[in-house]
Amino acid sequence: MPIIIFPVMGGAIRISQESVQRAVVGASFAVYTDDEGFVTEAFLEYLYRGNTVVPIEAASLEDALRQFQETDSNALIYIPRGYNDNLTQSMRGELRVYANLRKLNMAETQSTNIVSSLINNFNYLFSINKIKRLLEQTGGLGTPEAVRSPLSIRYASILKGTVLDIPPTSIISLVMSQSIMLPIMVMMMVMFAIQMAATSIALEKEQKTLETLMTLPVSRLTVLAGKLSGSIVIAVAGSVSYLIGFGYYMNSAFAFVPEAATMSIDEVSVGITPFGMLLVGVVIFVTLVSALAMALSIAVFADNVRSAQSFTGILITPIMIPAIILMFSDIDMLPQAVQWILLVIPYTHSIIATKAAFLGDYFVVIRSIAFISVWTFAVLYVAAKIFSTERIITARFSLGDIRKRLKRGR
Amino acid sequence: MHAIQAVDLGKNFGSTQALRGASFTVDENEIYGLIGPNGAGKTTALRILSTLISASSGRAEVFGFDVARHPEKVREIISYLPEEAGLYQHLSGLEFLEFMAGFYADGIEERNSFVEEGRLISGLGERLRDRSDGYSKGMKRRLLIARALMMKPRLAILDEPTSGLDVIQSVHVRNMIKDYADRQGVTVLLSSHNMLEVEYLCDRVSLMDLGRVVAEGSPDELRARYGAKNLEDVFMEVTDHE
Repeated sequence: MPIIIFPVMGGAIRISQESVQRAVVGASFAVYTDDEGFVTEAFLEYLYRGNTVVPIEAASLEDALRQFQETDSNALIYIPRGYNDNLTQSMRGELRVYANLRKLNMAETQSTNIVSSLINNFNYLFSINKIKRLLEQTGGLGTPEAVRSPLSIRYASILKGTVLDIPPTSIISLVMSQSIMLPIMVMMMVMFAIQMAATSIALEKEQKTLETLMTLPVSRLTVLAGKLSGSIVIAVAGSVSYLIGFGYYMNSAFAFVPEAATMSIDEVSVGITPFGMLLVGVVIFVTLVSALAMALSIAVFADNVRSAQSFTGILITPIMIPAIILMFSDIDMLPQAVQWILLVIPYTHSIIATKAAFLGDYFVVIRSIAFISVWTFAVLYVAAKIFSTERIITARFSLGDIRKRLKRGR
Repeated sequence: MHAIQAVDLGKNFGSTQALRGASFTVDENEIYGLIGPNGAGKTTALRILSTLISASSGRAEVFGFDVARHPEKVREIISYLPEEAGLYQHLSGLEFLEFMAGFYADGIEERNSFVEEGRLISGLGERLRDRSDGYSKGMKRRLLIARALMMKPRLAILDEPTSGLDVIQSVHVRNMIKDYADRQGVTVLLSSHNMLEVEYLCDRVSLMDLGRVVAEGSPDELRARYGAKNLEDVFMEVTDHE
């Protein structure tokens, strides 16, 4: 499924973005003027040059707006009376832009943005021209550009000790797309594996094959290992298909962003090296083994697949919470108490490690692997105990039983 | 050597005593029946002997192997058919036999001979190629019994082998077990609450009630000992049931 879902998602995003771009390129706007004079004429000439303009001839603004709504244009520039006089007397000339939001989609706002940038450009050219004339009249020094905007900023970012001539927002937007998707990927993979492992053992109970299986001439640990390895093979296959699909999704979905397309991950030295990739593989493997062993141990207490899915639903919560929190934040940015709660959950470390591998912080990755491994061994020990005793046959719990026990406890 | 030696077997599930010191012995190559009403402890005894659960007290040996200390050794020589056994629904009957034979066989040749034996025992013919979720209850049971017997185990433990079957299917299954045990010299331990069935099938029986063995012997011996017409009358005689 992931190998299909991600490319389809990527393709869908690309199609929608391309259609927005097409809509923007072909965008037209309407103009209605109540004013006259040489500045107004100059402005109209500027607007008509290279743009598709729909002129509105009307007796009043109300009438103009009605006519505008009958056109295909999404934006109307209205030049009110006094615009020309104000500008010639060095006062502010007011323009009004009306956006017709018919379908509430992105293309409609893009149309308004184009109109805004045209006006801003005219604004700039007009002011530069005026400053130039003033400088000539007063004999002042400097360039019109420097008078209009005396400060200029050039952004650079320092990443892992290297100074890059790239604005930080560009790097962050690239990294964010990765740091949001990585926790989602880990979360989806673990949830997928848990459901599968729980179903495999619950199905044995539901189909009444477990007792037969447990009397075959193989050790109970072999049965456990078989269940684990079967689930791991499918989960890893699922993960690989996620990676392939995800790669296609990223290429498809972000192909329209010029910054992301021209700035490769290597250029900003953020990315996973072969060693980092190996560590991510280890992280995913130990995470999977612990999640699967836990799912198998829990599913043993279920009578059928439905109960097993309900039980493993309890496991999904500690996987989802860190994934959602760490999608938008970093562990160090959280309050101390929340940090400790999250750090106790082993699956938090899977996400932290994957992010750290992306940033080349291998110490954090190895520390997380150590933590998850210790947890995995503990869970495997419990699973082995359950499988090697009669609990695998006799253990029975339903959510109703648990409720009853809790009530009795009170 | 006895095929089975169970001594004072006890089993508690929480506060419930399922077995209260049950003792019996099964000789090699005989068909032995544990009979009694529901809740007598038959299934619990069979589960202990097939290493699924452990006894709370007492001990049991299968061909000299202690079931608690050497469960892996016991599992190599037994074959257990639970009362409510099921099939892997996505497999055909033949695939199921092949899958199960793989656990016992040394190599492909032996596996194929086990599967061929299973095919003959089941008598399902070409239907073995169909997915098992389309089988009737009787067909499923015949396939499961074929699975339990095909690898010629030294001891076959069958829990209620004709449970839920109609008269025709029951007779077929009984004949399957009897013919196979006679032909292959396999020891069979089975449980049933159908005392007439056991009378026909078993060389010796234990009558169980409330977790204890209340009488043991061949059906003829038991009838003679209690001057009864059949095992049902014997059972009523040796217990307090009315």
